Amino acid sequence: MSSVVLNDVSKTYADGTSAVKELNLEISDGEFLVLVGPSGCGKTTALRMIAGLEDISGGTISIGSRVVNDIPSRDRDVAMVFQSYALYPHLNVFDNIAFGLVLRKLSKAEITKRVTEVAKVLQLENHLKRKPRNLSGGQRQRVAMGRAIVRSPQVFLMDEPLSNLDAKLRVQMRAEIARIQRDLGVTTVYVTHDQTEAMTLGDRVVVMKRGLLQQAGGPQELYDRPRNLFVAGFVGSPGMNMVSGVLEHRDDDSWWVTLGSQALRVPESVLTERPALRGYAGRSLIVGIRPEDMEDAAILGAEEGQVLKSVADLVEAMGSDVLVHFPVDVPPVMTDDIKELADDDAVAGPNVLSGTEDTVLVGRFSPRTKVFEGQSISVRVDTARLHFFDPRTGSSLWDD
Amino acid sequence: MTVGPAGTTEATPDRRDDLAAARGPQAAKSSRRKRTPGWLALLFLLPALVLLGVYLVYPVVYSVVRSMFDSDGNRFVGLNNYGEAFTDPSTRTALKNNLIWVLVAPTVVTVFGLLFAVLTERIRWAVAFRMVLFMPMAISLFASGVIFRLVYQEDPELGVANAAAVTVHDAFAAPSHYPGVRLRDGQGTVVGDGDYLTAKTYRPGDVVNLPLVGMQATALPPGASGAITPGGGSTALRGAAWLDVALLHGHPNAIDKVEKGAPGLTVQAVKDGAVVATTTTGADGTFSFPDLAPGDYRVQLPGSNFAAPFRGLTWLGPGLVTPVIISCWIWIMTGFAMTFIAAGLAAIPRDALEAARVDGGTEWQVFRKVTVPLIGPVLLVVFVTLVINVLKIFELVYVIAPGASQASANVLALQMWQVSFGAGGGDQGLGSAIGVILFLLVLPAMLFNIRRFRRERR
Repeated sequence: MSSVVLNDVSKTYADGTSAVKELNLEISDGEFLVLVGPSGCGKTTALRMIAGLEDISGGTISIGSRVVNDIPSRDRDVAMVFQSYALYPHLNVFDNIAFGLVLRKLSKAEITKRVTEVAKVLQLENHLKRKPRNLSGGQRQRVAMGRAIVRSPQVFLMDEPLSNLDAKLRVQMRAEIARIQRDLGVTTVYVTHDQTEAMTLGDRVVVMKRGLLQQAGGPQELYDRPRNLFVAGFVGSPGMNMVSGVLEHRDDDSWWVTLGSQALRVPESVLTERPALRGYAGRSLIVGIRPEDMEDAAILGAEEGQVLKSVADLVEAMGSDVLVHFPVDVPPVMTDDIKELADDDAVAGPNVLSGTEDTVLVGRFSPRTKVFEGQSISVRVDTARLHFFDPRTGSSLWDD
Repeated sequence: MTVGPAGTTEATPDRRDDLAAARGPQAAKSSRRKRTPGWLALLFLLPALVLLGVYLVYPVVYSVVRSMFDSDGNRFVGLNNYGEAFTDPSTRTALKNNLIWVLVAPTVVTVFGLLFAVLTERIRWAVAFRMVLFMPMAISLFASGVIFRLVYQEDPELGVANAAAVTVHDAFAAPSHYPGVRLRDGQGTVVGDGDYLTAKTYRPGDVVNLPLVGMQATALPPGASGAITPGGGSTALRGAAWLDVALLHGHPNAIDKVEKGAPGLTVQAVKDGAVVATTTTGADGTFSFPDLAPGDYRVQLPGSNFAAPFRGLTWLGPGLVTPVIISCWIWIMTGFAMTFIAAGLAAIPRDALEAARVDGGTEWQVFRKVTVPLIGPVLLVVFVTLVINVLKIFELVYVIAPGASQASANVLALQMWQVSFGAGGGDQGLGSAIGVILFLLVLPAMLFNIRRFRRERR
């Protein structure tokens, strides 16, 4: 087990495309770090550079106290789980798991002992003699995990290990990976484009976009204090609603944000939390509202300045809660970040209706709501949890 | 899987259900086909059947029949022709050579193909390289044979193989400038490997004359200058070797004005049968042994001075002709093997190789433990295809082997032709027998390949 340090790591391909730009990361011993971002954001490239499968164009990567830039993959003592599992098709499960140990010339008895142990942990004991092609997806995934675990490496590297599984199995394996990592305490770098996986697994989550690190922090921190529009839109499902609004400082010293023909009152707590906001009086900015922070006013009741009125456009009952889509008369926000999120199918990005003057918001209501499609609704917004972003830079407004 | 009368499919228990379901529509189709009248199907098959019958089935059957008749085709001789085929020395040579071919050629080609496929996979311009390697396949076997017959011509001026051999040989062992030259009669005796040893003995301070004959003055190495007799006043054993021309006014055994020294000769001083000093003659032919202890010496010119130049190997002679023809075939077929193996390599999942590298494999281990097992099936198909090809080899042997060594290079296909139509005397009974033997040899390899393709299609 050891720490992994990325210092100004860059990757530029021969054709000039730059996949990773000056990435700085310190992954401490035993930490579970998740790299997350839309496809093409450089997260896999970063992982492959740590694995030694990709040359490092600039900067240094250290594992433990060694700089590994020039150390071949085989000597880095890392184990990787591939998205495709990359099992050896000609070897049975036992030999697949034992492969790394055989290469290290361990004794037969030792190999058998370790493989059997791992197989037991992963419930593969009854399949050791089978070839990968005769295994189910979940079993293959476990063999791939076993191959990594059995070597007790310094670092686990996982490249979207769950993305080829069906939804139910994914949840199950996710829990299993979390448990195994916790038991073994091995430093792990995990790449995924699925923000749910990222949030549930990571001690720390790193959001990347086009080769650049956007924000690194604990899952709750990313959710509560996204640094910019991209992170805000990426984290959370359904994604954060983004509308443009104008901040008003009224004569009675109250602060309001106008959304089209309606307005929400910005409570004092938000202003203390975000001192930078005061500088935006009278200016337009981007307002972010998480679906979770909205509720049917009929259930909760509402004070003045907490309500948006609209007509329910679409009602999706999820069982545990109800997603209500409703329009507000504000032009949709269209920044590059949001376009990028909308382009990435895998991400539950914000609702973007192009070509209209309305923005459709999504609220996550309690299942006790009696809202039906076409009904006029009052939506109570938890104004204490509003997010504000600079429309030009896209960065979140906290302190200066 | 059997198709029931109602067009239902009965899957064998080990088949998966979805497979049976997938076969459903096909099974329905096949039952519809049953309703088409048999004569109509036959009508459509007729052209193919006629062609196959005339050009394939009939010749095969007739060959088998013909192989049991004598050379005229009138008298039934049973299996006598087969008996003769296995006792006739030239057919046995052919069998032996075929065996050598099968053992060596397909293996070498498969290994080369694998090597080139792996190497070209990791370079730029891989396609260009592969195209060049594949090109011999585009040349007719006959033309390739002609090329290689020229390559292996014995005269280094004509055959590039010997030209290269001579160049390499001479780079390591400098060629002698005095092939066939000898010491004038009476001046010495030949001992050992053509070494010339003086009859007289000399002491330090004496002058030794070594008159050489047996070459044109124009053939002397460039830089040879007029021969001189070393002057007196020295205590060293010394002397001169020169080209002694006795024509016109020349005097034998004496240095005349026009005569030139023989430079670059190795000269040895011999005492009691052992070489004690060695030197080389200068441009004027003089040599000297300065530091000899007092005593009696003989002077020796080692035979290596007069060795005939290296002229390369007799490639097309009986001894080397089969390896030479095999080398030509390797040149042709490597591109074929490489192309197939490269396709197999491309189908290997990249991830598996990367996983093996992360797992701690060196490039060689990855190659041996992952790459090779994964392309094993492709290698096998290539190998078997090559075996079939090798057994039928004919043109190359016919073209490359000159008449004199054709008998040593003989292979079954050539022998079949020779016996049937060529110098063998037109015994088509024996020829047919050899043809049938050849067919039986190819058959197992053929069946293996067919079975493999079937299994893959399933």
